[in-house]
Amino acid sequence: MKYKVTHTTKYAYSQAVPVCHNLIHLAPRTLPHQVCHDYKLLVHPEPFSISNRKDYFGNDVSYFSIDQAHLGLAVTATSRVTVSPIPEVSEAETPSWETVVKELANDRSPEGLDADQFVFDSRGVKHFPALVDYAKVSFEKDRPILSAALDLTSRIYKDFKYDPRATTVHTEIHEVFEERHGVCQDFAHFQIGCLRSIGLAARYVSGYLRTEPPPGKPRLVGADASHAWLSVYCGKAGWVDMDPTNNVRASTDHITVAWGRDYYDVCPIQGTIVGGGEHKMSVSVDVAPEDSVTPQNQVDSPT
Amino acid sequence: MSTSPLSVKNVFQGYTPPSGVYDEFMTDTQQPRAHSKLFLDSIAQIGRNEFEHRWQQAQRTVQANDFAYSGYATPEDKARPWELDAIPFLITGAEWDTVSTALNQRAHLLNLVLKDLYGEQSLLKQGILPPELVFAHPGFLRAYHGQQLQNDCFLNFYAADLARSPNGEWWVLADRTEAPSGIGFALENRILISRMFPELFHQYHVERLAPFFIAAQETLRSLAPQAQENPRVVLLSQGQTSQNYFEDAYLARYLGYTLVEGGDLAVRKNQVMLKTLGGLIPVDVILRRQNSNDCDPLELDSSSRKGAAGLTQAARSGQVGIANALGSGLIESAAFMAFMPRLCKSLLGEELLMPGVASWWCGVPDQLDYVLKNLEKLVIQPAFRMRGKNNHTPGALSKMSPKKLAELIKTDPTQFAAQEMVMRSSIPVWRGDVQPAYLSLRTFAVNSGDSYTVMRGALARTASLLDPLELSLRKGEGSKDAWVLADSPVEYVTLLKEQGRTVTLRHSGAELPSRAADNIFWLGRQLERAEAIARLLRSTVSRLSGETRSTSDLEVPVLLRCLADQGQIEPGYAIDKLRSQLPPVEQILIASVFDKSQPTSLRSVLDQLFRLGSIVRDRISLDTWRIIRRIDKGFLPAPYGVTNLSDVLTMTNDLITELAAFSGIIMESMTRTQAFRFLELGRRVERSLQIMSLVKNCFVPMPQAQGPIFETVLEVADSLMTYRSRYLANLQLAAVLDLLLTDETNPRSLVFQFMRLSKHVEQLPRNQAQPGYTAEQRLVMTLLHSVRMLDIQSIAEAHSLGDYQPLESLIETWESQLPKFSEAISHRYLVHAVSSHQLSDISPQ
Repeated sequence: MKYKVTHTTKYAYSQAVPVCHNLIHLAPRTLPHQVCHDYKLLVHPEPFSISNRKDYFGNDVSYFSIDQAHLGLAVTATSRVTVSPIPEVSEAETPSWETVVKELANDRSPEGLDADQFVFDSRGVKHFPALVDYAKVSFEKDRPILSAALDLTSRIYKDFKYDPRATTVHTEIHEVFEERHGVCQDFAHFQIGCLRSIGLAARYVSGYLRTEPPPGKPRLVGADASHAWLSVYCGKAGWVDMDPTNNVRASTDHITVAWGRDYYDVCPIQGTIVGGGEHKMSVSVDVAPEDSVTPQNQVDSPT
Repeated sequence: MSTSPLSVKNVFQGYTPPSGVYDEFMTDTQQPRAHSKLFLDSIAQIGRNEFEHRWQQAQRTVQANDFAYSGYATPEDKARPWELDAIPFLITGAEWDTVSTALNQRAHLLNLVLKDLYGEQSLLKQGILPPELVFAHPGFLRAYHGQQLQNDCFLNFYAADLARSPNGEWWVLADRTEAPSGIGFALENRILISRMFPELFHQYHVERLAPFFIAAQETLRSLAPQAQENPRVVLLSQGQTSQNYFEDAYLARYLGYTLVEGGDLAVRKNQVMLKTLGGLIPVDVILRRQNSNDCDPLELDSSSRKGAAGLTQAARSGQVGIANALGSGLIESAAFMAFMPRLCKSLLGEELLMPGVASWWCGVPDQLDYVLKNLEKLVIQPAFRMRGKNNHTPGALSKMSPKKLAELIKTDPTQFAAQEMVMRSSIPVWRGDVQPAYLSLRTFAVNSGDSYTVMRGALARTASLLDPLELSLRKGEGSKDAWVLADSPVEYVTLLKEQGRTVTLRHSGAELPSRAADNIFWLGRQLERAEAIARLLRSTVSRLSGETRSTSDLEVPVLLRCLADQGQIEPGYAIDKLRSQLPPVEQILIASVFDKSQPTSLRSVLDQLFRLGSIVRDRISLDTWRIIRRIDKGFLPAPYGVTNLSDVLTMTNDLITELAAFSGIIMESMTRTQAFRFLELGRRVERSLQIMSLVKNCFVPMPQAQGPIFETVLEVADSLMTYRSRYLANLQLAAVLDLLLTDETNPRSLVFQFMRLSKHVEQLPRNQAQPGYTAEQRLVMTLLHSVRMLDIQSIAEAHSLGDYQPLESLIETWESQLPKFSEAISHRYLVHAVSSHQLSDISPQ
């Protein structure tokens, strides 16, 4: 699948902002199954300079600051991405989850070390005891890790209500668990918390979901925001992405932008401003297929 | 001379070191150690009386300098004075050389560990360190990677806490790598104790601390991104509420750096800037005393209000030198102690020259097992130290039962480390007699290129109990100077005179950060407000307290009106009808002026004065600071001070004298820099407001008994003498108003204040390219003009005939104009930046 992604974020301030500093995670990663052909970042008003680098997790990150007074800020990222189907890992062939936990503690290979950092608490995913109990229902003794992890994904999909008004970006996972509702970020954080609570490595993936047209209707533009899911380290079977918001394994409908321990590592637009009074923001994301091939996997709409 | 213990009985009589530990002064057989003999002999010679006398003198100096430790979390939480002990810790130069070599090795090692963990991470790949040790560490922020470091050094400043075990060997108790504190206290202790024993200090050839500070200055200079003769170095403090603020201010003064807080800095085009009155000026080097994660709300801790957004990016682009580098605190955690021998072998190929206290990290299964089996013998502490915040304080952990503790550890073993209990050496302390206490040493090293320069001295800390190993300066009981004894006389060095460098003569001081200017402005205002209230209070009390004159009944209501207007007493007292229903003012006056819950009360104003004074201490002289302290200490309610009205009178008289001394010292000793101008601006604005309030409350409506009221007003306005010398006893409204409002020779007149304001405003930095006058210039000129153009004679005539409107409307105009002036100043110079905040984001959906 080839996509054109346009992600626009606008801020409007009630008073002029003399200075702002921003960090941007909007460039899709290039991966074995995904190629980012070109990526453009447009910022208005134009910053003095934009510096790009790879962050600790290998994501592209841009930094810019604007030091002329401005009443609004618009950040538009456009990219062209080709996503190929990921060779499906068979659930039964993955090692038992206990084996993966053990390996994580001893594996000093670059992959093992990299995975190990995703075992621990992070700012957006804080441990609490009930996580273990919730996880253990799926993680029965000797169960292949992927089978257990996907079972957990399904349970979260069934047990939690999708409700964009219920939570904010800063909602903690114990609240999400208590109220059993949230959005993709919350479900991803919660499942990550469950997996980490039993010693597994799980990372947060930020990206886009193909904007799906309802049957017979024109494609909706700007109806979506960015999406989030998670990836589980399955030992020798590597990382496998799954999406508890839609109860699916990520495939060609999921475009990976960045990953980290949680939302805070890969927040699409982070900004610090001086003054500015009240501010309003709006986001529009458009993920348009560039060819007319029908996707192979239909994604369930969020409930 | 005999040197048996008996000869020192005067002071050291009865000193018995505890058994089983090493004593720093005495051998096991109760004989003075070779290097302490001279000290004990000298003390014996000095004798108890002289010793006590000198000690009292030293303590007075501590108090006068108010070398305090804690900051001001709340107004009630006043700074504690530094607890210094009279008897220094002594160590021979030869032994200190051994200690220094070991510290040099350890600092090197820690620097290499930091470089690796923020770089290749080969220590993790090779299994020398368990990856969990780093990945579970809340201080391991990914943003610290990729900094461009000058000199390739993460660890420019290093401190280690040492203790001596019973066999006489030194051990490392803890490493401090984030922003080691205590250097300033070591210096302060040295100054005090060397003064107490000048002869001994000389005879002992005590090594100087100055070379360490010179090395520190050299290092900081070398961190400037572009090699510069005189890079701008700032000391970034955690702020006035931090417990380290006094030390920060002291160090900044001593080293000659500008003291700043995060809010004083801004990042523009990857360049760190200091916000000053004259605009933004580039900063080359930051001596970081603030925790790393507080330094940048954009990339580090977004909840922190103390940082400057973009600082991390500036560090990454190499446009600023930061000491220590961001993230250097990672390895000061107890958990790392357990791996030091292994790290040393692996990175340096040598054994540690000084052992660390045996430590275990519970994140490793076999170490966890050991800890759980030996809980009673070990001190449990948090594995990951985040400077300034700790969830489980070691104190709380030590109070838990072993069973509870084991349960807690098992919930998340990575969060805990254990250390062996250490028997520290003992040392005598002076508590009216000499008693043993336990000793630890905080030692300091600064990077000097290929090696570290270790301070030839230290901060000695004493505790009367065997405390857990947490050695926060807050905990221990006392501190001591540490003398390293050289074999031959030591060279004298000074920080001020640097050979081979010529100094460019300058008439302006360091640039004044806008925040400092703001505080100084308010210091000036509170100073003047305190004086005005004190004068009112004195006049009122002298009329209430029995030294009465027949006219006091006429004057008191007017004075009460003024006091109520100042917020000293309930507004009801200003109204004749209500006053009779309220308790007699004599009963409530004392409580009211001392009421700390009333922000306007005189005592609250003095608290503000003291607080502001302490914040701007790095900008005012020691003598000025002493006066501020005296003002603060001298005006206290019962049981320390005032109990009745005549006490108030005495105390208020003293207060007015002290405030006059304050004003005097400002005029005579403060250089005419921007700081002076802002202090003056504050004072003149406030005095103007006070004059207006006095005139309004006393003359509108015109009082019946004019003579006594005129006299009272002149007394409060400190113009009675002038009036009498001019007009003798002939009290006329026109003459009184002239003196208070339009007399340009009277420093208490309104026109005089406006003249001063106008003059100071002209000298403030401004954009020269902008033609015409600034808003504040126009406002003050309008004010000045309106007073100068007054026909005071005709206003007085109208007023006497009952037409109060001309005077009233004049005062109204001034009262509305002056705050506008004050705001204009504040907008242009003081409120450089409103606080910054995070842009909101919506959740991914």
